[in-house]
Amino acid sequence: MDDQKAYAIVGHSMLRPDAREKVRGRAVYVADFRLPGMLFARVLWSDRPHARILHIDTRQALDLPGVYTVVTADDAPNTRYGVYLKDQLIFARGKVRHIGEPVAAVAAESEAIAEKAIEKIVVQYEELPAIFEPIEAMKPGAPLIHPDLESYEATYPKIVKGNVCLYTRLSMGDTEKGFEDADYVFEDTFKTQPMYQGYLEPRGAVASFDFNDKLTVWTSNQQILVCQAELATALEMPMTQVRVIGTAIGGAFGGKLKTSVEPIAALLAKKSGRPVRLVLTREEDFIASRARAPYILRLKTGVKANGKITAKSVELIADCGGYSDHVVGTMGLAVSFSQGPYKIPNAEAKGYCVYTNNPNYSCMRAYGVHQMCFATESQMDIIASKIGMDPAEFRRRNLAEDGDVLVTTQPLRSVTVDQTMAQVLKACHWEEKRKASKQRGVKNFYGIGMANTILNMGLLSSAAIVKINEDGTASVLTGAVDLGTGNHTALAQIAAEELGMKPNDVNIAAVDSDSSPYDLGQIASRTIFDCGNAIKLAANDARRQLFATADEVLGAEGRELRASEGNVYVRDEPDKKISIRDLMGYRLYFKGGPIIGRAGWLGKPGFDHLVGEGYPQPPSVTFVFGTHVAEVEVDVGTGQVKVERITAAHDVGRAINPLGVAAQIEGGVVQGMGYALYEEMQIHEGVVQNPDFLNYRMPTILDAPEIVPIILEIPEEYGPFGAKGIGEPTNMGPPPAIANAIYNAVGVRVKELPITPERLLHALDDKKTREA
Amino acid sequence: MKHAIELTINGKCYQIEVEPEERLLDVLRDRLGLIGAKEGCSTGDCGACTVLMNGQAVTSCMILAVAVDGADITTIEGLEKDGEIHPLQKAFIEEGAVQCGYCTPGMILSALALLKENPEPSDDEIRRALAGNLCRCTGYTRIIAAVKAGAERMKNHG
Repeated sequence: MDDQKAYAIVGHSMLRPDAREKVRGRAVYVADFRLPGMLFARVLWSDRPHARILHIDTRQALDLPGVYTVVTADDAPNTRYGVYLKDQLIFARGKVRHIGEPVAAVAAESEAIAEKAIEKIVVQYEELPAIFEPIEAMKPGAPLIHPDLESYEATYPKIVKGNVCLYTRLSMGDTEKGFEDADYVFEDTFKTQPMYQGYLEPRGAVASFDFNDKLTVWTSNQQILVCQAELATALEMPMTQVRVIGTAIGGAFGGKLKTSVEPIAALLAKKSGRPVRLVLTREEDFIASRARAPYILRLKTGVKANGKITAKSVELIADCGGYSDHVVGTMGLAVSFSQGPYKIPNAEAKGYCVYTNNPNYSCMRAYGVHQMCFATESQMDIIASKIGMDPAEFRRRNLAEDGDVLVTTQPLRSVTVDQTMAQVLKACHWEEKRKASKQRGVKNFYGIGMANTILNMGLLSSAAIVKINEDGTASVLTGAVDLGTGNHTALAQIAAEELGMKPNDVNIAAVDSDSSPYDLGQIASRTIFDCGNAIKLAANDARRQLFATADEVLGAEGRELRASEGNVYVRDEPDKKISIRDLMGYRLYFKGGPIIGRAGWLGKPGFDHLVGEGYPQPPSVTFVFGTHVAEVEVDVGTGQVKVERITAAHDVGRAINPLGVAAQIEGGVVQGMGYALYEEMQIHEGVVQNPDFLNYRMPTILDAPEIVPIILEIPEEYGPFGAKGIGEPTNMGPPPAIANAIYNAVGVRVKELPITPERLLHALDDKKTREA
Repeated sequence: MKHAIELTINGKCYQIEVEPEERLLDVLRDRLGLIGAKEGCSTGDCGACTVLMNGQAVTSCMILAVAVDGADITTIEGLEKDGEIHPLQKAFIEEGAVQCGYCTPGMILSALALLKENPEPSDDEIRRALAGNLCRCTGYTRIIAAVKAGAERMKNHG
């Protein structure tokens, strides 16, 4: 059994090889690219939330010296594309649906000239009635943002009406009876904000056509093979003519999915006959962003006096902005996990995704489960407080176990939340601290709060090719880029462990769609789990071939072989050994030829029947759990919240690279804290009011709390060496844990994120008024 | 109208003609190929373009090239000596303080400016010195650890 073994490489902390070039400033990101004859691009974005395009006059822009070309919808195929719902075009055609929608683009000798040319493009608009509130947009008679919605192709059973581009409903048990059986019923509405991914490298791409009309695109996209396929669709080209190459990535967090800037750069390159670089400014990256969609979450939960939950129903409304993008997918996961990691026998979940004329929202780290987790875990504390039970005890009485079913009717497996909870509560001295006095000085109050997390693990396909080189090293071809998370280091560890090589003798090749096999991308915390499985299987296939040759060369006669540190030996007779390098010499020059291991992977959940309407997601392969505890100090004079410590326990199945896991937890926690307290894209009538890092306030080093990562390793049967992914769950815990800690400190509940000083002071005032 | 400026970058003297609107960051990246300084925001808020100007950490996106006439500039590329990386760079690798790497050069240079003034900074002093450098990946914990480890290493290197 895998979980009984001690491994030579897996499970040992490894420094990242890419850090060497990064500390030297030598890593090459998109903005660092220069090709001979390269032009620079700028985009004209819609400045209207909803308007008909009457005419676009580009003549003055083209007349400007140094301008090579201008492109608009007229230069692009009239093909709609999109990941769940095909509602998108490269450039607005006929009308614009949000501010920040691409209308035209220019390629010129310099960015300054391109910028001037953009200012000279004249667009005649006719304003259309715009709508910015999803609840308004759902009403009959609301202006239609996509009148052709009915005719759009979708990857899910489409139930659409008006501006609602997804309706889904899942149910299990008898919710009505569940509420009747309850002693108390709680109804709460929560609201979350648009959150910008805040990667430090703005989006960008370089595109170039060769003389055979083959397109090459360099991009910091997090889905290189998906980007290739979507470019091919959007440009009506065969995939053989579209080559996408991954560059170094300066962070992504869900903001660099599918395509965004790539097709624009490609159209400019095609029309100008020159390579074109398009790198967004920070302001553009904000206004044309794909921010985490804001949600309205209505929760109704029935509870017995003994703390047992009898029923839960949720109604979720997500604002898509102008196009559906990934919002539809986030809703699928949000409804799936609407019970949280709890056993709730009767449950119902409804979700609506609604077009508005707000910016084009999408997804971020932990997809829609993030928004859902804030609502569920906040309400758990509301209920605990009302029935007079410690929040940990209330959760304990309702924790799900293996075999309990989600509202999708999928049974849970690998449930370890009882253990993450036990570990974290012990580590942070929960019992004592909950009882300890809250007041510190005159206006400051201490509070401690918790939250549990659940997320799906394993999503669709990955593949890998492992080439054994003649010097005894290996190259791994995968579609997996390293977002900056260090996944290439861990993937090399997986390959090295399986091959019996030193990790530094394994090279994870740069991703190039011409040679890298299919991969869905570095999303959904799936890289270690899905790509890791594909790489492990491909490495195993290569090892099998190596062993067959070794058996012959060593005369092992079928006895068990082992590989370690680049040598293959007979297990019972370790002196009988040969280096992989010598084996490869034998293969290449005498017998057998090159060794190429290969594998495809599609995680099988053992569950393929989803009950419910309009549901857009595949079932989960398995699940991943965690628990966060936040400790805060609240200043009731200023409304400021200082997060002092977050203790975060995550079951990762197996930590392939423990250093990398701890680093993921730390980074995810601070991002989650930003969402809880500071970050909000402020949108007024479709306009982003704070498109810069001064006014969109991400956590700085001054805000960073003490973080105590606790890594649990309960091996997952389906994971490579037992591993599960960990990128996203780290980000979900802080918002509800912090909200619950604030309640513990000062007795007020803020149900709308972020919990700014203004909102908190308001809530404190309300409390005072009520008490008076 | 172009302006002639003369400045030292990483110990080397340059005479360059610059446009009035050109920024120090443009000179470094576009003219000299010193791509280690990154453009993250163009408004001086993120610190990815930080370089040292006469020993002080500055955001090179906010400084016009004409204003650096006579200045002594150090970029991340100037930290290596005889093919050896600087002890602070080594500390960033070994403490696991690097993820996507986009903030890393600026972070290292801000930390270096601090350590030159204050070779044994407290956690609070490190936080204050790096308050202008955003990092979205690490949560900052390991960056603080790396600056402390770098300070140790620099002491040992005389």
